[in-house]
Amino acid sequence: MNWRDFQTMQRVAEIDERFVSYLDDGAGEPVILLHGIPTWGYLWHQLIPELVKANRVLAPDLIGFGYSDKSDSFDRSIARQAELINDWMDTIGVQRAHIVAHDIGGGVALRLATLFPKRVMSLCVMNTVCYDSWPIEAMLQFGHPETRTKLSAATAMSLLKRALKQGFASSVDDYLIESLLAPYTTEVGKLSLIRNAAALNTNLTTEITSLLPKINVPTLVIWGEDDEFQLLKYARRLVSDIPNAVLVRVKDARHFVMLDRPGEVARHVSHFLTQELH
Amino acid sequence: MLGLGKPKHVTERDAEGETERVYHEIKQTLRVSGVNLNFRTWASYEKFLPLMWDAMRPVVETRAFEDAADELRAQAVVAAEGLGALDVADRVRLGESQKYQIQAALDLYHYINPKLLVFTSAVKLALERSQTNSAQREEREVELIERGIPAGVYPMEMISAEPEDERLAKLFEDIKQTLSLSSINSDYRTLGLWPDYLTASWQQLKPITQQKEYQKASDELRALGVNLAASFVTSIPLSREAVEEAGENSAEILQTTENFERLLPSLIINVSLLSLDWKTPEQLRKSPFPAAARVNVRAARGAS
Repeated sequence: MNWRDFQTMQRVAEIDERFVSYLDDGAGEPVILLHGIPTWGYLWHQLIPELVKANRVLAPDLIGFGYSDKSDSFDRSIARQAELINDWMDTIGVQRAHIVAHDIGGGVALRLATLFPKRVMSLCVMNTVCYDSWPIEAMLQFGHPETRTKLSAATAMSLLKRALKQGFASSVDDYLIESLLAPYTTEVGKLSLIRNAAALNTNLTTEITSLLPKINVPTLVIWGEDDEFQLLKYARRLVSDIPNAVLVRVKDARHFVMLDRPGEVARHVSHFLTQELH
Repeated sequence: MLGLGKPKHVTERDAEGETERVYHEIKQTLRVSGVNLNFRTWASYEKFLPLMWDAMRPVVETRAFEDAADELRAQAVVAAEGLGALDVADRVRLGESQKYQIQAALDLYHYINPKLLVFTSAVKLALERSQTNSAQREEREVELIERGIPAGVYPMEMISAEPEDERLAKLFEDIKQTLSLSSINSDYRTLGLWPDYLTASWQQLKPITQQKEYQKASDELRALGVNLAASFVTSIPLSREAVEEAGENSAEILQTTENFERLLPSLIINVSLLSLDWKTPEQLRKSPFPAAARVNVRAARGAS
């Protein structure tokens, strides 16, 4: 599926005077897919066809990301994102869901699992931010307010493309990279991404460290073991802190593990959702 | 072709100093999420923009100005109704979120464009005077509207004026040729976020813009804009002399301003035509973002 087709499938929900765009496909127990920075729901396009075979798949663009609201007037922290996902679930009538998440989407998922535990049926995080694993240097720099004037949207795109490629184990198609960055090619898109980067805050994961042992839903931690953005040591830490969490290390994969090894990741997630949980 | 002044524009990203200050003021006072092409063009006359804005701001923030733009918008909807339906939305495959965002983008321009026309006509009338007439000024109380961008106003997101996409590049060229523009307006650059929608929209709009009825509606809207602006002009301390004193070319600026005044009525009608696909005329005749009164009122200089 190309990104334009994905965009055409997106539905919309209004929450707290903002709007969230999301894909809603399939039937069955709901699975919510949460992307990271600097991507959007399209991150999951290779996993979705496998998951819709047995589940209702919901893939929102976090607020300020993708084709959700990009106004320059709200908090984009993972704390606020978790609250908005909680509100969004109410709006679309989903009480509980399996959560599958990546990067800062994983930070949102960890906050949901610890602070809104009734919402979470199971948790699957991939190369997620956690503890003090983040923000990475490139994003810290990108989030500086002066980036808006220092970098044109076109220059920002070239830098982001280069940075994103480092998140893949093997050479990656330019079209895929462009698709992941498609919502950020305009000045408004660039500014929104700068604001998203400015909202990255280690304290929002360190403050829930003591709550991780209280997570009592099945948890799968998938990690592209060659990731240089989110190191494998954090995956080990997560499975030691979250009761009964299972670690799956994916060889020859980096940060974008679901795109480096789509078939393998899809099998692990599907198995987790259909076998382990039933 | 209408030359819209100097080809150079000052983008929001490039704005510095006084221009940056005025751009912020424009968004807060006009209650809009971006700075439109006429301001970006006026900003290329570096001394003119702050001079003009500081003269205009006390008028723009009044209830009377907002009401004038509301009247113009309502008239545009009546005119658009008479030109027939476009049915663009039914001709393009759009998702729910895309439809939502297109409507939000149209609301943005449906709100701001009439304000821009009254604004532009007022600037033009002021520049046509050699001097301001201080004898007509007096102190009176006026109602001010709230400042700030209302929740729900769509960001003024725009694709490049020179898009890499060949189809969009050709489309922009056709729009510029047909409407005699030297630069593509913010409206079309925003709608370019949905290329299929903009393509279908232009296919429907283009023949209508060639009709006599359309030209007549456009002329009537322009005349209404001038009439409405005339009620404010005595309150605006701006004149050719003041512009020349600031070191800017008042004749060139006046021509640029006249060109925008000529262009804006068709933009307003086009947005109304496109909006009629999504909303009823009754809905569209009302402001999409009604402004509450500001708590305090001020004594202002102006004609009674």
